[in-house]
Amino acid sequence: MIHTRNLSLSFGNKEILRNITLDIEEGGFYALLGANGCGKTTLLRCVAGLLEPSVGEVSLGREKRPLKAFSARELAQKISFVRQQASSDFEFSAFEIVLMGRNPYQRRMQNESQADKEIVERCMRQTNTFHLRNSKPHEMSGGELQRVMIARALAQSTPVMLLDEPTSNLDIAHQFEIMELLRDIREKEGKTILIVVHDLNLALQYCPQTILLHKGDIFQKGKTADVLTPENISTIFGVDAIRENGYLRFCHKDR
Amino acid sequence: MRKTANLFLLAFLLLAAMLGSSMVGVVHFSWDEMWTSPIFWRLRLPRIVLSVMVGASLSVCGAAYQSVFRNPLTDPYILGVSSGASLGAAVAIIAGLQYYLWGIGAFALVTALLTVLLIYRIASIGNRLHTTTLLLTGVCITFLITALISFLMVLHQDKMESIIFWTMGSFASASWLDVALLAPVALVGIAVVIYHSKDLNLLLAGSETAQSLGVEVEKVKKILLFFTTLMVAFAVSTCGVIGFVGLVVPHGIRLVTGADNRKVVPYSIFVGGLFLLICDTLSRTLLPPSELPVGSLTALVGAPLFIYLLYKNKKSL
Repeated sequence: MIHTRNLSLSFGNKEILRNITLDIEEGGFYALLGANGCGKTTLLRCVAGLLEPSVGEVSLGREKRPLKAFSARELAQKISFVRQQASSDFEFSAFEIVLMGRNPYQRRMQNESQADKEIVERCMRQTNTFHLRNSKPHEMSGGELQRVMIARALAQSTPVMLLDEPTSNLDIAHQFEIMELLRDIREKEGKTILIVVHDLNLALQYCPQTILLHKGDIFQKGKTADVLTPENISTIFGVDAIRENGYLRFCHKDR
Repeated sequence: MRKTANLFLLAFLLLAAMLGSSMVGVVHFSWDEMWTSPIFWRLRLPRIVLSVMVGASLSVCGAAYQSVFRNPLTDPYILGVSSGASLGAAVAIIAGLQYYLWGIGAFALVTALLTVLLIYRIASIGNRLHTTTLLLTGVCITFLITALISFLMVLHQDKMESIIFWTMGSFASASWLDVALLAPVALVGIAVVIYHSKDLNLLLAGSETAQSLGVEVEKVKKILLFFTTLMVAFAVSTCGVIGFVGLVVPHGIRLVTGADNRKVVPYSIFVGGLFLLICDTLSRTLLPPSELPVGSLTALVGAPLFIYLLYKNKKSL
């Protein structure tokens, strides 16, 4: 579905991503894991077409059309992107925010159609946010706002969804809720989903595939259970880990 | 279609206010006298039309800037147009160009555009416009130029009064030439902003989000900044620096209609025009035959109105 070939990116002299070659398969649910500063978010933004790599390219679909060849509007019909932190200083209602997801299908100066509004309602019901439709972001909790942002990505009706730490800042119950929602979306609608997460156990539980990044490089990719071994975790995060009943337990090294 | 009905109502109000304003002044007219008087045709009407156009332009630009920069405190002068224009005007006044047709205006226009160009050059990184850098550069250059103007005034104290009066803004010398110069720029500029009003909504969510929702962010930002800058520069060159309108009119509208720029921008045209027309009419009728500076009247009339709106909305929350 998405292919990166020899992708490298530097900011000034600092190399953030090095020679990344990756094939994201259609209908897959991938976790992008790695320590802070390893380039996860940068890679996600490259894949989303928001950042242009210094070397290499990202392409989309079976015909492997490079992202550069898409207009912003065309790309927005293919890939949706949920940012790490939704801005909340924003005076639109949740319904209006989700309706923005229909923008890539609307012409300028044209008002939203009834069909658009029905899609928005369906996406809001699916994410359990329809009761919030008249609320402004500052009136919502972190979890509610995150679900509204996911509803907007859903309303974009894209085959690919990218999410940057959708579970950060959420309590444990809401973390499960978001992950289950994503699993649901992928199973029912066959979307390809790639998320950045920090919680390795969440990845282990919900994401069948994992891409493990280390210092701007792909350390290992494959089935999550195969990638998240105690040895890899020790190398990448500097933390001792044990696997028990399919879950990971951690303790800091040398303690 | 409540929006259309409201816009028609506002347009009607504006027209009525223009007619009403035409009849009052140092010379009062009856309805019949007005249409035959050269004072009406040569002095009052161009002044009224100009004040409406400037009010509309500044308000629309303010609404656009506040969305592009995602900053509620941005006004149309944030990119240095006002300081640049004032510098040009000061130089023109010192050189004695005020006796030539459009002498000050031409100078003000050129320096305003040069200043903004300078700010863009400094603030653009590669091919991208970083809005925070743009704002900071704008503020910094504005301070620099204001300091230059102060020096100029100290060196030419005999011209100080004229320079200060110009920077306070006035429609007293409005002519059909001013109207003819501003009209095409204002019409095209306003049309461009309306055309992009949905993009402005998405830009409010942040440029990365806007991009991922299908907005060509860099292109749209450049188009909008180009046309709004031209509008503001032409407006300032005809009447000097009139503050408050561009900052507060869009906010006042937002308090009533919500943040959707598809409403805020068209309402800004009429409310901004009407507001500046009322202020200018007051400025020439309150203490005849002298004129009050319209740039201070905008705040004097507008601030209480705005605070009332803020207060009313606070209670409803």
